[in-house]
Amino acid sequence: MNKRLFSVLLVLMMAVIGVFGSQAQETVDITIRCKANVQGGEGWRCDNFSEIESQVEEELGIDLNLTLIQDDIGWEDYKTEFLLSTEAGDAPDIILSGHEDIGSWAPAGYIIPLDDKLGDYPEFDDVVSTLWESQKWDGQIWGVPQDAEARPIFYSKLLLSDLGWSDEEIESLPDRVASGDFTFDDMVATAQQAIEEGIIEEGFGYWHRGSNGFDWLMPYYAMGGEILGEDGKLVWDSEALLRVYEAVASWVETGITRSDMLGLSSSEVVYPAVSSAEEVLFFQGGSWNWANMAKNYVADRGGNDYLLENIGLILYPAMSAGTPVTVTHPLSYMISSDSENPDVAMALIAAVTTPEANNRHAIDSFHLGILNSQVESEAYQNDPVLSSAHYMLDYTRVAPNHPDWSAWTNAYWLGIQAAETGASTPQEALDQATAQLQNEVGDNITYK
Amino acid sequence: MEKKAPDSRRNILRANLTAYGFLAPAGILVIIFFLIPVLLIIYLSMTNLATTNFTTNVSQMEFVGLENYAILLRDQFAGKIFFNTVFYVLVTLAIFNVSLALIVSLLTMHIPRRAGFAFRAIWILPRITTATVYIMLWRRLAVEAPYGIINQFNTLLNQPTYNYLDARPWEFVIMANGFIGVSFGMIIFTSAIESIPKDLMNASLVDGSTIMQRIRFIIMPLLRWPLLFVVTYQTLSLLTSFEQILLLTNGGPGLYDTEVWSLTAYHRALSNYFGNAQWGYGSAFAVVLVIIGVVLAVIYMRVFRFNELVAEPKIEVL
Repeated sequence: MNKRLFSVLLVLMMAVIGVFGSQAQETVDITIRCKANVQGGEGWRCDNFSEIESQVEEELGIDLNLTLIQDDIGWEDYKTEFLLSTEAGDAPDIILSGHEDIGSWAPAGYIIPLDDKLGDYPEFDDVVSTLWESQKWDGQIWGVPQDAEARPIFYSKLLLSDLGWSDEEIESLPDRVASGDFTFDDMVATAQQAIEEGIIEEGFGYWHRGSNGFDWLMPYYAMGGEILGEDGKLVWDSEALLRVYEAVASWVETGITRSDMLGLSSSEVVYPAVSSAEEVLFFQGGSWNWANMAKNYVADRGGNDYLLENIGLILYPAMSAGTPVTVTHPLSYMISSDSENPDVAMALIAAVTTPEANNRHAIDSFHLGILNSQVESEAYQNDPVLSSAHYMLDYTRVAPNHPDWSAWTNAYWLGIQAAETGASTPQEALDQATAQLQNEVGDNITYK
Repeated sequence: MEKKAPDSRRNILRANLTAYGFLAPAGILVIIFFLIPVLLIIYLSMTNLATTNFTTNVSQMEFVGLENYAILLRDQFAGKIFFNTVFYVLVTLAIFNVSLALIVSLLTMHIPRRAGFAFRAIWILPRITTATVYIMLWRRLAVEAPYGIINQFNTLLNQPTYNYLDARPWEFVIMANGFIGVSFGMIIFTSAIESIPKDLMNASLVDGSTIMQRIRFIIMPLLRWPLLFVVTYQTLSLLTSFEQILLLTNGGPGLYDTEVWSLTAYHRALSNYFGNAQWGYGSAFAVVLVIIGVVLAVIYMRVFRFNELVAEPKIEVL
């Protein structure tokens, strides 16, 4: 074989290896599970991965086979599904869930710590630093924030105007609440006045969440309650709790809140009534409710523009602790311990943790931004709702990631149900809630 | 005689084996779908299995003895939930699953055959409708003005409107479940009435009996067996059913106002908003339900004299 023929054959062989080698590129299967109200604009939680799929394929030199599973089933079923799929060894690689699940899933070994991987991606340096606190358990980071929100009080500008408030008074209300000049007691008095003057029906002065949820932490914090002690145990602050139970009982007694508020259907009653701005004066909701109402309840009246004209947002006004609050409940991308490709999963999460990707979600669903550069971006700043509500993150508190959190909040909610429905006096409600907690977790909690 | 004894024993053995052979398919099903799950649930109820230590490996579960039962007994709302369950089962069973089922089957047996068939078909609709769709219909009926159908009529008639699921939760829970239960009894009772020998009916007609007399003296005595079956089956069914209540009121409004035992077991073991399901504690609730079910079944059998119902006839039937 002469040298020329040998060289030609060598080149041909290399070409063949090159062609077939590239065709035999590794295919990586990744399953991502998201809970989202797609009609309410939350679909980007999973859809963002489709947008960056080819980019990650190029960066890692792999073929991705993404399976995105996204729906809006209840949180209970959603979490049970992950639990059972993990036990079956068939969990999704990436699960989007509430950060509080870290408190249960990390000690159970369902998800993996991410500390070692975060440093490989500069995208994570851009995440608002306070949000990382909500991703920790036992000194390690277990999730990446996907979104944040505020749980503001929606106030009807229309009804306040009917009550004789000037435009200046109406528009300055968010600032007056933030500074502590307009307190929760002032809000209650305003609602009572509106009922007395016949502007709203009795029971339509102040509406709140009708089920258990993070929103209920706001009155507890606003009454000076603390949840996590220095020893790592959860704290059951009886003094703050009693004040909360007295407050919720008084809302119904004074007629500003409906007696059937707990359990009232959001989609059938609450959202239609609140979004019209013609029936309910104050409503404590979540920022995402805004997008849902604009898209699904007042779309025929002008959607977002109608809401902007007739509804405003304020923090949860100051109660006895003296400062206004709000609560954020970041959802987090977590990586399953079942995942065979955690590094690829991490690369995908990094690729959607960008201002472009997260703005799609934030603007469509009215969730607050999670990245510093995102908040400063033109798209975010130009959105009138997001830019006007972002300051609320300065007042925000989060729930703890703790294995006993579920028992704590269920007992707290039991007391709220007892007090607000009038089934028990506030003191009895506190006693019942305390007994419930002691029966189930005993001394794992610090009782104050 | 001495030689015949082994043959006789062999025959008896063969006969017994044949009988057991015929019973085997049903027996295996009972073992797989009742006995083994019950044993598993009893074991689970003696562990502290929860989200934070969840495993399907039985040997890795932490045994806590009767601790879950102690917690259950100390639960301040267990009594309320228990009596809610008794109320719900008794009222639904008495009004709908037995009485209304019997009335519907009697009425539809005494009208033209085709019309009777059509009416019975309508009564079966709640049972064959998907639970979620069925409850959505009830919610749409009950929800407040201007969305609820009942309240739309109230408004038309200048009557006050209500949030019925808050004002009348038990009525709606019982009606929603009752209308499903009627169809079961109706089918059983109708077929039982159909199978009453025509001679008896004809004889009573010749004697000049009224409809009420025929019902009282011929039909009802012959329905004892189907009544036992319907009462027993429907009691156990109502004790364990919770999906309609879950979708309609989720145990509310207020403080466990319509919470029943099986719903609590579900809430504890399988459904928890904050994701910390208590499988062990929930199983303790489920075990109590199994015990109640078995005790009730035994009581029903005594009350209805089950042994007499299944006794061999005193005359040989050819």
